[in-house]
Amino acid sequence: MTDTLADSPGSGSGAGAGSGSPEAPGPHRPGAAERLRRALPALGSLQSYIGLVLVIAVGIATKGAVFWNQTNLTNAITAFASRGILAVGVTLVILTAGIDLSVGSILGIGSMTAAMLLVHHGLSPLLIVPACAAVGALFGFLNGVGTTWLKIQSFVMTLAMLSVVRGIDRQVSDNVAVGVQLIGPNGQPTRKADAFAKLGTPGHQLVSGSWLPLFGRAGVGYPLVAFFAVCVVFQLILSRTRFGRHIYAVGGNPVAARLSGVNVTLVVIAVFTLSGMLAGFAGPIDAAYSASADPLAGTGYELDAIAAAVIGGTSLAGGKGSITGTAVGALILTLLDNVLGLNAVSDNLQLIIKGLIVVVAVVLQRPGFLRGAVDPLARRIRSGRG
Amino acid sequence: MRPDEDVAADSAPPLLRMRDIAKQFPGVRALTGVDLTVHGGEVVALLGENGAGKSTLMNILAGVHADYDGVIELDGEPARIHSPRQAAHHGITMIHQELNLVPELSISDNVFLGRELRSRRGTLDRKAMHRRTAELLAELGLALPPQRPVRECRIAERQLVEVAKALNGRLKVLVMDEPTSALAAAEVERLFTVIRSLARRGVGIVYISHRLEELKEIADSVTVLRDGGNVGSRDAHTVDRDELVALMVGRPLDNLYPRATEQRSEGPVRLEVSGLTFTPTPGQSGTALHDLDFTVRAGEIVGLAGLMGAGRSEVLESLYGARSPVTGSIKLDGRRYAPRSPRQAIRRGLALVAEDRKAQSLVLDNTVRFNTTLAALHRFLRPWRTVNRRAEKAAAAEQNAALGTKTASVETVVGTLSGGNQQKVVLAKCLLTKPTLLLVDEPTRGIDVGAKAEIHALLDRLAEAGSAILAVSSELPELLGICDRIIVLCEGRITGEFHRDPAHGPVAAQEAILSAAMARQAVLASGSTLLGSTHD
Repeated sequence: MTDTLADSPGSGSGAGAGSGSPEAPGPHRPGAAERLRRALPALGSLQSYIGLVLVIAVGIATKGAVFWNQTNLTNAITAFASRGILAVGVTLVILTAGIDLSVGSILGIGSMTAAMLLVHHGLSPLLIVPACAAVGALFGFLNGVGTTWLKIQSFVMTLAMLSVVRGIDRQVSDNVAVGVQLIGPNGQPTRKADAFAKLGTPGHQLVSGSWLPLFGRAGVGYPLVAFFAVCVVFQLILSRTRFGRHIYAVGGNPVAARLSGVNVTLVVIAVFTLSGMLAGFAGPIDAAYSASADPLAGTGYELDAIAAAVIGGTSLAGGKGSITGTAVGALILTLLDNVLGLNAVSDNLQLIIKGLIVVVAVVLQRPGFLRGAVDPLARRIRSGRG
Repeated sequence: MRPDEDVAADSAPPLLRMRDIAKQFPGVRALTGVDLTVHGGEVVALLGENGAGKSTLMNILAGVHADYDGVIELDGEPARIHSPRQAAHHGITMIHQELNLVPELSISDNVFLGRELRSRRGTLDRKAMHRRTAELLAELGLALPPQRPVRECRIAERQLVEVAKALNGRLKVLVMDEPTSALAAAEVERLFTVIRSLARRGVGIVYISHRLEELKEIADSVTVLRDGGNVGSRDAHTVDRDELVALMVGRPLDNLYPRATEQRSEGPVRLEVSGLTFTPTPGQSGTALHDLDFTVRAGEIVGLAGLMGAGRSEVLESLYGARSPVTGSIKLDGRRYAPRSPRQAIRRGLALVAEDRKAQSLVLDNTVRFNTTLAALHRFLRPWRTVNRRAEKAAAAEQNAALGTKTASVETVVGTLSGGNQQKVVLAKCLLTKPTLLLVDEPTRGIDVGAKAEIHALLDRLAEAGSAILAVSSELPELLGICDRIIVLCEGRITGEFHRDPAHGPVAAQEAILSAAMARQAVLASGSTLLGSTHD
């Protein structure tokens, strides 16, 4: 392959100088602003970072060190980690221009599966977590099959799945919560129950000991590690792999994707399966965090997950967005919850504020939204008066 | 034709006068200084090749394009038309080729869409609407119940429902965009009767058509557009067909269709199709293909000509694995080839430049790089199927530079480029898969003349280098300019085949091809026929 462009492969970048310009003497270095602008799509939208800074500023302004200390922050993020993981899966689905409403229910059945495997079968957490992920993946796969082969709109398919999975959850649990704090004959928690409990514990509460001691000492528990690991892995999949490329292509223009040789059906089934898998994977974390598997666990989580994706700049029309954006969106929601809680804002008011923030986020993220809103108005005035 | 023709033309100001209309699209100058005059009761035929600016001009009149330069006068008064609503207010109605009806609603609901009659209680007065609709339909000679859903009506009936809808309001100017392209002969006659009766009532009619022989029968005057400008108006009753074709084609073909050599050496047969049949399943769009036989050699550009709905795109899409069910035998380089998906087709060395680059070829919100390498990502994979972005970027930049795509960088969003540059990105995407058989569908639609010539030169170079190319275009001069051979389709059948023969003029060839393309019922045996012979 010969290079005909100014952009020499070693310089990493430089096409910004124009495709027709002569070879620069040294490697061309784009300015900081240019680099930032190019990196932005992968990092989420600038607006969401501004939002994050705003929430933190409000937190510090109103509560100072009560808000801005390691214990409070890790607690807050740990509480939100399972929803953050759901948001990653939902983002994948939204990128293909679909929607997944069933993740809350799948998290619920994941948490119930985890509790039952632990309590009734005494399985090790090392086996429970992948088992729950597999259960979730199965339901996600069915979502994918429904939307592709049966050509059911994803909204309808996953709404139905939300109901079915919740029903199964309640049926197998007999509508009774399953506690996961098993007490051994010596009056102490059993070793397995102890290990399972760590799945949901913020780092600073981890007693010295067996599981993930390193993270424990650094103040970072398993839920945080899991959330950030999921974010990193899926952001890399999106930005670095062919599969990631195909996800954007399917969401951006499914016809063009198909005519370019992308197996659209397979990509759609894969993202639903992954979304289900992540929801199932989040189940044990949620069960461990709340110390029991409630048959209603995860109810309404899908809305938080979708909100995180949307606040993070993912377009419901598909083809635009990133996991990094979703992670920032999840952080915004987390810290907002926390700040409002610390300030003793009532639950009802919290819901209203969250809803408003989603609306504001979407409007702010419209490219050139100001121009778009003003232009037609200006034209109407022009044509109306002269 | 009309008794009052001369009176109307001389004394009163014309019903409609568009003066010095200009329109600029991003990257393309669509219209410059176009004039159009329509008198009350007159049928004006608007002629021109595809891309000449007819649709743009009519869309301006119908208020679809809000921004344009120039003046529109109605009855001598300047009229402000910047939205479909304003156009409707002035009594201007356009009947688009793809009709604008809501299929699930009834005829009467469609006729009254947006101006529903209400009873005193505020509910819909269906009885009155049905009654009025029945009257309108009767006027048009249609015996249909007003309650029938539009989706159950035939195309010709739907067209008249659109006319009824227009008549229900205040109708002064009616624009019809190729109304007869999908009609059978008897239906055409009925439509003409309706048009004549509308004209008698004083409605001004702008009639867009490619069927030259219709014009004498229905039109009073003919206005010809070419490359976004007026090239002349003629009396429809006296003008002869050759003169119109000459006006439409006009430009020197040699400049626009550069060829390295006049006669290319024939390569081995790359594609051999026999008995290709495509039957759309119910609910699937597209024209059925009946038992097609043809071959394409390496180093040859073969054109597929035909009217809208002749099945040209369906041939390409069938070969590309994008249509099913397809039967018949296809051989690629002598080996059996049964395409079941575009993915498979790409693997076997096919590439498709689809008809609608925005809807079918590009992910508009993404970058030039993303789009260029989308079909060829397998060439840039490292372990774990990760993309080697450096190699990918270099290849995208190289391919686009080779095609002369004008873009700031390969990280530019494709949607911000001009039509011509977008099309070059599509071509770059196709070429990056290293195709041996290139299928191109309307390769130069909606792009400016300069970019057209560049794309023609590119196709010529590819053929010289040994690629086989199968090209579809609605612009006959384009096919005549670039192709070694032209296959004519009509209603999914091959009705003629023409070899390149520079001895005969392009106009003669155009007529012969048009005749074959319009051989509606008289389907001819496929086979090689010499240029200039006609098939009727």
